[in-house]
Amino acid sequence: MTDTAGNATTTSGDEPVTMMEYFMQLEYSDVVSAPVMRFRDALMDARLIAQQCPKCKLVYVPPKGYCPIDTVELDERNEIQLADRGVVTNYTVVTPVQYYGQKETEPFVRASILLDPPGGMLILQDVLDIPVAEVRAGMRVEAVWAPKGERDVDEIGNRSGSALEGSLRGFRPTGEPDMPAEAFSDKVW
Amino acid sequence: MATAHEPCAIVGFGQTKHKKRRDDLSLPGLVREAAERALDDAGMTWSDIEAVVIGKAPDPFEGVMMPELSLADALAAVGKPMMRVHTAGSVGGSTSIVASSLIMGRRHQRVLTVAYEKQSEGNAQWGLAGGRSGGMGAGGIFAPWMRSYIRGSGAPEHIGWKVAVKDRLNAVKNPYAHLQLPDITIEKVKESPMLWEPIHFLESCPSSDGAAAMVLTDEEGGRAASKPPAWVLGTAMRSELGSFPGRDTVRPQAGVECAEMLYKEVGITNPREQIDVAELYVPFSWYEPMWLEGHDIAGPGEGWKMVDSGETEITGSFPVNPSGGVLSSNPIGASGMLRFGEAAQQVRGQAGEHQVPGAKVALAQAYGGAAQYFAMWVVSSELQPSLS
Amino acid sequence: MAALKDVAIIGYAQARNERQAQATEVQFLFPVINEALEMSKIPRREIGFTCAGSCDYLSGQTFAFVMNLEAVGAWPPISESHVEMDGAWALYEAWVRLQHEDIDTALVFGSGKSSPGNPAEIYPLQMDPYTLTPLGFDPVSSAAIQARALLDAGKVTERQMAEIAARSRRDAMKNPYAQVTGEFDVDELLAQPYVTAPLRKHDLPPISDGACAVVLATGDKAREVCERPAWIRGIDHRIEAHQPGMRDLTTSRSTRLAGEAAGVGSAPIEVAELSATFTHQEPILREALGLGDQVAINPSGGALSANPVMAVGLARIAEAAKQIVEGGRRRTLGHATSGMCLQQNLVCVLEGEQ
Ligand SMILES: [Zn+2]
Repeated sequence: MTDTAGNATTTSGDEPVTMMEYFMQLEYSDVVSAPVMRFRDALMDARLIAQQCPKCKLVYVPPKGYCPIDTVELDERNEIQLADRGVVTNYTVVTPVQYYGQKETEPFVRASILLDPPGGMLILQDVLDIPVAEVRAGMRVEAVWAPKGERDVDEIGNRSGSALEGSLRGFRPTGEPDMPAEAFSDKVW
Repeated sequence: MATAHEPCAIVGFGQTKHKKRRDDLSLPGLVREAAERALDDAGMTWSDIEAVVIGKAPDPFEGVMMPELSLADALAAVGKPMMRVHTAGSVGGSTSIVASSLIMGRRHQRVLTVAYEKQSEGNAQWGLAGGRSGGMGAGGIFAPWMRSYIRGSGAPEHIGWKVAVKDRLNAVKNPYAHLQLPDITIEKVKESPMLWEPIHFLESCPSSDGAAAMVLTDEEGGRAASKPPAWVLGTAMRSELGSFPGRDTVRPQAGVECAEMLYKEVGITNPREQIDVAELYVPFSWYEPMWLEGHDIAGPGEGWKMVDSGETEITGSFPVNPSGGVLSSNPIGASGMLRFGEAAQQVRGQAGEHQVPGAKVALAQAYGGAAQYFAMWVVSSELQPSLS
Repeated sequence: MAALKDVAIIGYAQARNERQAQATEVQFLFPVINEALEMSKIPRREIGFTCAGSCDYLSGQTFAFVMNLEAVGAWPPISESHVEMDGAWALYEAWVRLQHEDIDTALVFGSGKSSPGNPAEIYPLQMDPYTLTPLGFDPVSSAAIQARALLDAGKVTERQMAEIAARSRRDAMKNPYAQVTGEFDVDELLAQPYVTAPLRKHDLPPISDGACAVVLATGDKAREVCERPAWIRGIDHRIEAHQPGMRDLTTSRSTRLAGEAAGVGSAPIEVAELSATFTHQEPILREALGLGDQVAINPSGGALSANPVMAVGLARIAEAAKQIVEGGRRRTLGHATSGMCLQQNLVCVLEGEQ
């Protein structure tokens, strides 16, 4: 097989070509929805906001603009301020798999955090200032905000509402006594 | 069991040899390998088929958008109806169900259904992460839920290892299975690298190229078949929201209801007694006890005990995944159809070395998304079996 | 094929099509589903089966359809399925499911947010990945090849194509969901430059963000809740060869086969809503379906006035149903298509009672 157009895929010797790599790149640019825009603005101000459904009282963070349980639309009138501390309800330690675009190389934590009243769940959060092996369910944590001026919310789109690390770096232990993990077994996601 | 629909029979099943890379085959070649085997098994040719239903997981996994368009020729669908189903990981199951629906709804007499994934032609980890860094794969999402199950049920840690060993030893009896690990031991599973705490490398599914296919027909076709058919006694699909505060991710309600609907339709009151063998979607070891409980085959906290006592081995009283399951082959889009087809093979008596002797009633299940999509069916060697 | 169980369209709704929706797909789908359910008078929890159609590549997100479950209210859990196809095929799946006779209602929807991506980059991925995708075979170029074949065969003129565009945009002025509307002079349209010869801008569909939802019910249930249901008298779909070079692009064999199987020719059709996304495809479809001059084509303005991919075919069926339910028509037709140059086609024949 002859190589053309710079596709030098033949290995040394007379090995036949069995694979050709074909990379493609697609660019998408979506409009950030109004509720997510407000969420981003709040993060720039080191605050977490959510929408609370008036019917079922569930707290949606980031806000979606609706409650999927009751199929009602929500707006700024349903907005509430959240605490920036809470408890780890569950976690995993991920050994990163390498793929195009993956930057992680060492095991990292992804934790579910139940914020203090009025509540709200944050999923897939990093836990900082503690060895990976010591993270546990029931551990009390507080937000670690990026310094003002270093915050950015560019990664937060309509479908990537847990990618907060540009402004909220993660959570760190407060040193308070652990809470009973069993009490949060239904609040992991 | 008062149903007004046409009975549906599976009269042909085929699958590829699943491998890390099937670089001997193109995408059309991959689906044809499975489809031709299913047609041969049914004693049919391409021209006998009236409609084609195809299923696979997200298109970005291979970078081919709406692949039914470019596979129409290879699957001899030109001039025929062709559909493409996509319900996340459960897709192989729901594709089988949509195909059976075409028979039950009396649209067609002979339908070919095919499901596939060619993971080597793309990158599923990239696809799952949406191209972003910090991707954790499906295992990263499911790991905390498995941890919750372990904590809630009090299961000892060796249960996961045990499932991993059982399925790999079953796979040794299945020449199509991707992983062939005859020397696997509990010790090796335990010592394998930790991927997503509590899941070790050997407790998780491989990444495979592969396809599965079935030929489905009506009552007349089933009765005339040259090999024993598998009769579809009932099907169920159930979906729920993936994420809301308070959602039970360990025993999702959609899974509970899917099983409930199915058992009711089939007339099953005691699944553990009335079902002879099950093919369940277990991509990570702990999902075997989780689904035994999540589909009311075992009571709460009892699923791991079935594993521990060996009940889910081929020789046990409730064999699970005699084919080796998703833990041994995971061509994602096809993995559900492999469960549905392997269940059919069991009741047809065609499962070869991994045959459960005398299996008459088999359950198949597939799940997907954030454990929020469920597809299940029950097949039997008889159209109206006595379910005692 | 056995006798069909009576199934009717008893509710429908669409989103107002936009070049770029400010809302997310779930957000604009939300009121559409609510409105269709409201019209049907079937309580959400009583719906027996739900089926959706959408495509991950439009918005560039794997598992994009999973989010759309939020617009349905999938809690408690629902019986549900999804096709990576236009919502018209979701309607087909639901219609087949209703033939089983154990459930009597179904909700169907299709949705797509095309604005984030670039169609010329995305749609080549629909083609054969080994031979055609690397060539960047895009929808406008392929449509231009088809139009050229049609012009060369003397089956259409550029003037007739411009007339179709002008008529569609004029009719669309009465359609609150339409995106490209207004009075246009045919000579002025013809004076415009080619985008890709022989296609001018007016020969192309707009890029649209949109959604459509339809509610189906079987015999007695439909009569109970709807004064004048639009009964599905025939529905069928067919696919043909993928390689455009393998087909006669001036005809649509798959549309003809689907139309015959759906019984289009058994009685006169009054209105046809066709997914002709390029002007020249309208005469191809008319010929394939045997629709004469007496048939009103695309009174909604059709796909040339709004093209919400993955919803546009279902919207044609909804518009055909509307002609019966609200317009008092006797027999109408809705058509959907998939792939380039009309590779796959679905035809749905609807009837009102006398
Ligand atoms: Zn609510």
